[in-house]
Parts: sequence; C-alpha cells; structure tokens
Amino acid sequence: MNELKTENLSCKRGENIVLNNINFSIKSGETLVVKGRNGSGKTTLLRILSSFITSYEGKVLFNDVGISEDNLYNSKFNLIGQKNSLKENLSIKKNLELWDILFNEALDHTKLLEHNNLYHLFNKDVSSLSDGQKKCISLHRLNYNKYDLWFLDEPFVFLDEVNTNLLIEKINQFNENMGTVILTSNINLPKKFHKEINI
Amino acid sequence: MSNLIKRDLLLSFYSSANFFFTVSFFILILMLIPFAFGTQTEQLKVLFRGVVWIALALSIIITVDRIYNADYEDGNLDIIMQKNKTIEYLIISKYITHWFIYCLPLLVILPLLSFLFYLDYLETTQIFINLFIGSFGMVFIANFVSALTLGARRTIFLKAIIMIPLFVPFIIFGSDAGSWPILLALSMLSFVISIYVTAYGLRLYGE
Amino acid sequence: MYIKIKNNHIELIKSANPYLIFATIFAFVIGLYYSLFQSPPDYIQGDSMRIMYIHVPSAWFALMTYSILAGSCVLWFITRNPLFNVVARSIAQVGMIFTLMSLITGSIWGKPTWGVWWVWDARLTSMLILFFLYIAYIFLWQAISNKELASKISAALAIIGFINIPIIKFSVDWWNTLHQPASISKLSAPSIDVSMLIPLFIMTAACFLFLVTVSLIRFRLVLIENKVLRTSN
Repeated sequence: MNELKTENLSCKRGENIVLNNINFSIKSGETLVVKGRNGSGKTTLLRILSSFITSYEGKVLFNDVGISEDNLYNSKFNLIGQKNSLKENLSIKKNLELWDILFNEALDHTKLLEHNNLYHLFNKDVSSLSDGQKKCISLHRLNYNKYDLWFLDEPFVFLDEVNTNLLIEKINQFNENMGTVILTSNINLPKKFHKEINI
Repeated sequence: MSNLIKRDLLLSFYSSANFFFTVSFFILILMLIPFAFGTQTEQLKVLFRGVVWIALALSIIITVDRIYNADYEDGNLDIIMQKNKTIEYLIISKYITHWFIYCLPLLVILPLLSFLFYLDYLETTQIFINLFIGSFGMVFIANFVSALTLGARRTIFLKAIIMIPLFVPFIIFGSDAGSWPILLALSMLSFVISIYVTAYGLRLYGE
Repeated sequence: MYIKIKNNHIELIKSANPYLIFATIFAFVIGLYYSLFQSPPDYIQGDSMRIMYIHVPSAWFALMTYSILAGSCVLWFITRNPLFNVVARSIAQVGMIFTLMSLITGSIWGKPTWGVWWVWDARLTSMLILFFLYIAYIFLWQAISNKELASKISAALAIIGFINIPIIKFSVDWWNTLHQPASISKLSAPSIDVSMLIPLFIMTAACFLFLVTVSLIRFRLVLIENKVLRTSN
C-alpha cells in the first residue's frame, strides 16, 4: 500500500507564487484530478512530484519518506508530460524501439497499437500524424508496467471520444491493480475520479 | 547508463544522414585548402596541420545541437533524466556517444586525408595523437555549452561565439607535435569543469 | 527576481546622475587637455604616444570590469543576493565598450609605432577574446527568455570565461615562442615622467567616472525593470 502526500507545498518561481499551500494525500488504487486554470501551476506540481523541481517549501512524502531522500523513488513513477517525446523524422516503430531501450522493457507494440487503431501507421513518420495520434502514441508509454505511480499532464488534450474512453478504462484498470494516478486537466472529464483538487 | 548509450547509438543509426553530413563537412573543409592556397607540397603539409583543427572545431560546433537540444525540445530529456538519477552517469554517457558518433569517424578518415596532403606516417601519427586527445576536450566543452544553451533562441551562432574562445587553447597546442601532454591537461581540466557545468545546466532546465 | 530595495535608493541614484555625468565630461575635458597640450611628446614615438592616455586606462578597465563581473557572479552563486546579479548585468556593456575602445586605440597606436595595425601577441589576442566573452555574456542573457534562468546561465558562462582568459594568455605566449620569434619587443618604459603621469592619472579617473556613471544608469534601469515586473504580477 503506497501513499503519496504533500504537506503545505508551496513553490515560487522568481517572485511569482505558483503553488500556495497544496495539501493532498492519495493512496494506492486512487486517482487524483488536479484542476486549475491555464498557468495555475498544474505542470509545476507534477514536476515537483516527479522530483525535477527541487526548490519548494513544504513536504512531499512517499510512504512517509521525503521524495528527495528516497533513492528508488525515481523508478516508481511514469511521467507523461505535454511534450510527446517523439522524434518527428522517425517512424513510430523506430520511436517505440528507442523508448523500449530507455525504459528497459520490451513491449509487444503491435497488439497494443491495434487497440488504438494505429497499427496501420506503424512504419509512417511521426511528422505525418495528427496531434491526436501523436498524443495516443505518447500515452503508449503507460504500457510499460513496472510503475506504481502515473503522473499525466493534460492527457485528454487532442484525444477523440473513443480514445478518451480507452484512456479512462486504462486508468481504471491501473487503479484496480493498486496503481496511483495523478492527472491534470482544465476541462470537465466525462467520468468522476476518486479525488479532485483545485489549484 | 548503458541503456542511454545504446539508445543514442541506435538513434544516430536511424538518422544516419547526420553522421554522413558531419564527415562530409569535415572532408570538404580540408578540400578547400588546395583550392585556397595552391598545391605546393610543403605549403599543404603546413596548412593541413592547422586547418584539420579548424575543421574539427567546426564539425563539433555544427553537431552541438544534437547533444541535448533535440531531446530537450521533444521531451525525451525528461525521460532520460528520470531514468538516470545520477546525473554524472548521464553526462558521461553523452560524452561517450557524442565522441563515438561524431569524432571517431573523423579520426578514422584522418590518416587517409593526411596522405592526400603528402604527410608521412610519423607526422600522421603525431597529428592523430593530438587530435585524438584534443577531440575529447572539445567534446567536453561542446557538451556543457549544449546544456547551458538549452533554452536559448538563435542558438547556433551564439554557441559558436561561446565555444570558439574555449577552443583556442586546443587549436594553439594541437598544431604543435610535441604538446600532447598539454592537450591532455587541457582535456582533463575541461572534463572537470564540464561535468559540473553540464549538471548545473541540466538541473536548471529540468525545473 | 525579487529585490528588496527601497524606492528612495533608486531616487538617490537618479538624483546623483546629473552630477556624475557632469563630472565625467569635466574629467574627460581636463584629461584630454592635459594629454593633448600639457604633456611633452615622447622622445621616441612623438605625438602618436598621446593615444596611450586613453588606451591604457580603457585596457585596465576592460580587464577590471570583467573581474568585477565574474567576481559578482561568483558572489551571487555563493550569497544568492540578487543585487550581485544586477551589478554584473549593469557593468557588462560598459566593459564591452572599454574593450572595444582599447582594441581600436591600440591598433591606431600600433600603425605608426610598429608599422602594423595588429600583432598576434598574447595581450592583444586575449583582449580580442575578452571582447567576445562580453558579447557571449550579453547575448546569451538576451537569448534566453526566462530571465531568471538567463541570469544563472550567463553567470556560469562569465565564470568559465574568467578561467579561460589566463589559459589563453598562457597558450598564446607559448604559441608565440613556437611560431614566431619575438619580432616586436615590448616597449620598455623604465621611468615615466611626471608630466606624463598627470594626464594618465586624470584620464584613468575619467574612465572610472564613465564606468560608474553608465553602470549606475543601467543599475537603476535593471532595478526599475524588476520592480515593474513585480507590480505587474
């Protein structure tokens, strides 16, 4: 049973206060939706949780240990940022091969891509795809399955209805397997998740 | 660490055009020597020793965008930094791959080129040793400049302006056959500085 | 960047500006008068040597300004006091002007004295590279849109440049012994006459005043810029 918790988390960028007193706690099998307007610091929050930003006030605790003290913490989460981490001039196949090496895990991509109806584009260059298709492939990284936490930054942007439902289904499945999800969104989602905070 | 090296090598294999461009660029710069200065053997021999360093410096400058910038812009740098928590390992892997992909091919074709410029075995060996040692130092410098200028606009010119003054000592000692110990010292110094500065730059941009 | 500075400090700098500008102009006029009319021509170089009265101070201040710049960058990293960063940013442009000035006057002096505009020796070469270090510092700061990040990055670069300068000086000295015999011996000036020291001293003071005046104007502008940023957010 894992628990991720923040205590009085505040963050300043320069003189701007980006995050002010964020408190939440989330356990295995739960999903937290972080809502807020554009520029309200949702991405900053995810980057603090994924230990890229280290200058903040307050505490971020994973199983009651500060995330900067936990050496293994970095191997426990999977962050899908807003940039889709794809090389535009390479085909989907080659991009996925590069990810396989970085994530140190070989996936059966053909089956997974058929699920999203992308398999027929397998050898096409990424630059020829639409934004929604790129996002789908970017979210394909969620299939690497050694992680306890998912941090998703605006995962539903560009996705059509079918793919949105597929992603929600995937999140539910991950929750059932005791995974924890934190996702940001600035629109109303079709489904209610366990927890929600506004920042 | 080994995963990152493997991934970078595969990436450069997939976009191998870049690799051929660098090698061709290097050869073409050296090819300009006879066009610019005529074909007297003695003169060519002297000029080759110096221009080969200029060609190496320029080749490294045009590749500097591919060290961290490409990965930073498409978001892969986040994944790389997450998977390599010890940032020093990440940086050292980048040194190795950058040198391996962009400097090693130049060093491999160097003997061939130096015979075209009428240099004998001994002279070629001297140039090769100097270039081998100096190329590491230049790669270290290129890496930290790349990490420092991740968020900058109009970057290639700016990077050249930052890098060329730092390359000056290498070029001065590089063209002298006996100064390889000094080149080694310079390379080691730039390694020490580079590893700190690159880590600093990457951490800043990670935020 | 959050800077705690009182409004009246900015006002104080503003009110000092006219006096400083006047003092700078006054010092330059007096200095030029002394160096052009009230000092004897050099018995070897003749009147061409008078350009030294502007060349020497600007070369000194070019180096000094870069030392202050790098020093305040180091202090900024240590103390995290943003004022050091503002100091570094305000003096960079003046330093670049001094470097350019010393390069130009040096060439003008070199032509009648050495017979050439330029000599590839350690001093001149490191001066030229210093000029590009200033350019790199200023333009790197401009090229990065996140200004807090830009300050940190360009400060790191300024410190690296500071390490680079002596290395270049040393390597060019070495290179000169390798590639060319010292064809031009440095002008040895065993004893400078008092009549020459006076204009040199006044010109140095004038350059110093110029440095202080322009830096303070820029210092104030940078502060105001940050203040505006603060109130607008």
